[in-house]
Amino acid sequence: MRSKKLARNGTIAVMAVMLFFVAAFFLSLALGPADMSLGQVVKYLFQGRVSGEVNSTIFWQIRMPRVLLALIVGAALALAGAVLQGLFLNPLTDPYVTGVSSGAALGATLSFFFKLPAIPWLSLLAVAGGFGTLIFVYSIAKRRGVLNIYQLLLGGVTMSYLFFALVSVLMIKSGRDLHAVVYWLLGSFSGRGWTEVKIALVIIPLLFVPFFFTDELNILLQGEERALELGVEVERVKNVLFFVAAAVTAIAVSVSGIIGFVGLVVPHLCRLLIGPDHRKLLFLSIFMGAALMALSDLLARVAFAPSEIPVGIVTIFFGAPFFIYLLRRRTA
Amino acid sequence: MAVVELKEVTFSYNDEPALKNLSFKVEQGDFLGVVGPNGSGKSTLLKIIEGILTPDEGQSLVRGKAVKEYARRLLARELALVPQSFSLDFDFTAREVVEMGRYARKGLEGSRFGIDELLDKLEISALADRPFPQLSGGEKQMVVLAQALAQEPGVLLLDEPAAHLDVSYQLRLFDWLKRLNDEGLTIVCVLHDLNLALLYFDRMLMLSDGRLFASGPTEEVLSPVIIEAVYGVRAYTHRHAGRTFLTFSPRTRPTRKEKVHLVCGGGTGSYLMRELVDLGYSVSAGVINAMDTDEVTGRELGLAIAAEAPFTPITDEAHEENLALIRGADLVILTEVPLGSGNIRNVSAFAEAARLGKKVRALERVEELDFTGEAAGLLAGIEGLRYLRDAGHVLTELEETGEWES
Repeated sequence: MRSKKLARNGTIAVMAVMLFFVAAFFLSLALGPADMSLGQVVKYLFQGRVSGEVNSTIFWQIRMPRVLLALIVGAALALAGAVLQGLFLNPLTDPYVTGVSSGAALGATLSFFFKLPAIPWLSLLAVAGGFGTLIFVYSIAKRRGVLNIYQLLLGGVTMSYLFFALVSVLMIKSGRDLHAVVYWLLGSFSGRGWTEVKIALVIIPLLFVPFFFTDELNILLQGEERALELGVEVERVKNVLFFVAAAVTAIAVSVSGIIGFVGLVVPHLCRLLIGPDHRKLLFLSIFMGAALMALSDLLARVAFAPSEIPVGIVTIFFGAPFFIYLLRRRTA
Repeated sequence: MAVVELKEVTFSYNDEPALKNLSFKVEQGDFLGVVGPNGSGKSTLLKIIEGILTPDEGQSLVRGKAVKEYARRLLARELALVPQSFSLDFDFTAREVVEMGRYARKGLEGSRFGIDELLDKLEISALADRPFPQLSGGEKQMVVLAQALAQEPGVLLLDEPAAHLDVSYQLRLFDWLKRLNDEGLTIVCVLHDLNLALLYFDRMLMLSDGRLFASGPTEEVLSPVIIEAVYGVRAYTHRHAGRTFLTFSPRTRPTRKEKVHLVCGGGTGSYLMRELVDLGYSVSAGVINAMDTDEVTGRELGLAIAAEAPFTPITDEAHEENLALIRGADLVILTEVPLGSGNIRNVSAFAEAARLGKKVRALERVEELDFTGEAAGLLAGIEGLRYLRDAGHVLTELEETGEWES
């Protein structure tokens, strides 16, 4: 009984995921084309950057920003997924159903198409595309002060198709730059530096917002009408959470491209470990998402070294079978 | 001040009017039932009260203040709702589901509230740690009741809370509502089962087609006349084992001109009375002792009855009355009524019917029911019956009540 209660409280799961997170962090810092020992990693961490030393420069200029970016993006997508699955009462929801990712993709593709300098145009256009879509889809779904969740979903999915059609046209027209676009669309942390990390840092304060709404998210699992009856200001909660989830997704996509399955699978995995209670689920999803993204990027770097594959391929490669396992398990 | 009040509320779904100029008040401590046919606006009414739907015209007030002016959290401290059914597919324990009812009172001063005591009180402590989706329908409904009570509302609204429950949970739920009402909770409950309504509720609202058709004490509102007007069925009030209850018959068959008279007693005629009435015949009966089951049933069905005082042999007066009814009838049926010295005159009344050329029928086992003993004078009645049968006047088979017509 006691051990069962402990498992239900999730103390063990939380500790395990935190350990996993720390391990993923150090492992991602240590491994790569230039391997470093854990001792070196710790040394560089405490030393700060030492100019002239090659490994220290690699560590601080290449690896650290890349790992931090992967952690933040992973956390953002997982949290957005967990929040949206709760809001939409739909287990198949991921952050990309909002359509903001395809809006961001269109923005990014435009920057490739017009051969604009990546900094700042790629991120800028991607963020603009994401937020533009967010506002458009939101206004479609809002009627008489009520945010219709189904219209939000359908609007988002429709915009995704529309934007990908536009992206495809641009890709065909752009000819030889196709490779760069495809690489970006599949999602990658390759070549990202501190500029992208600075953009991604905007995500961090937004990640705290859903933690003020954990009770509301739990109650919303009983449906919007029941939530109203229990005293939840449903429209306000939906507005805030939809905005936060879509915003962190837009920012994440703008710095990393469209990395699939993390936002879909991680919340499910966490629910499996800890139950549906958002008070624990959101916290766990953030760290699980961050750790899995860092490890996925690590695999993307080392699996076919010296060449790299897009991290989005790694997450799909592991995410898809796992998700099918989850579906089977659910119906069984 | 009324705790809940609707003022001239009109509401339409798109262009489909659901409530039409509806007004009523619920006072503190009321135990109010709301009945009405499907689509009469009962559930809409609750949604208007709790501000989920906004009236097109008129106002919904809670403690004198318009519902739309309440923050949801404040309204949830005044009103709680128990829905007809409730789905939650996530593995929260029953206790966690109940705790969600505390949302509106979270962080309030003096808001200490014993979830354990509440579960104890409702006798569902054993469910506390079980996952909600694994509970039975009845258990779920008790947990949802607990969730609503955890809001500590002044008014509890219920929308057909027993619709999916077996009889044991139905009674348990309504017993609880009664107790909670005794403790001061105001209750407004939409329900379908008119007999449950009669059993539990003091006051009733009857809705019909979005309007308030009747309101008042339960036994007045649930009268056969009102039920027939609103539901379009025949309704009969019965008193049995100290309780009033209703039975219903469809009003789909046409009214028939033929009159049937039953010579019965001791409950042997009750079934036929009901069947014949439902088939649309006008039915009379006699001679039956007052308070006899057949007499009670006949009275409840509104039949013309030649009655005799209890435990009294049939007097000339009652016999004449019976003969008068027989003369007016097209068919006379003698049921398997036990025959004794008290009612043997019914046999001669029956024989008189045959003599008058009425169609007559006797149920099969009539001869075995001779309790007249050896008294020669009384035996004559039985002999007469035998004679009638042997002469072919009386058929002893009456399998189908409509069969004689052909």
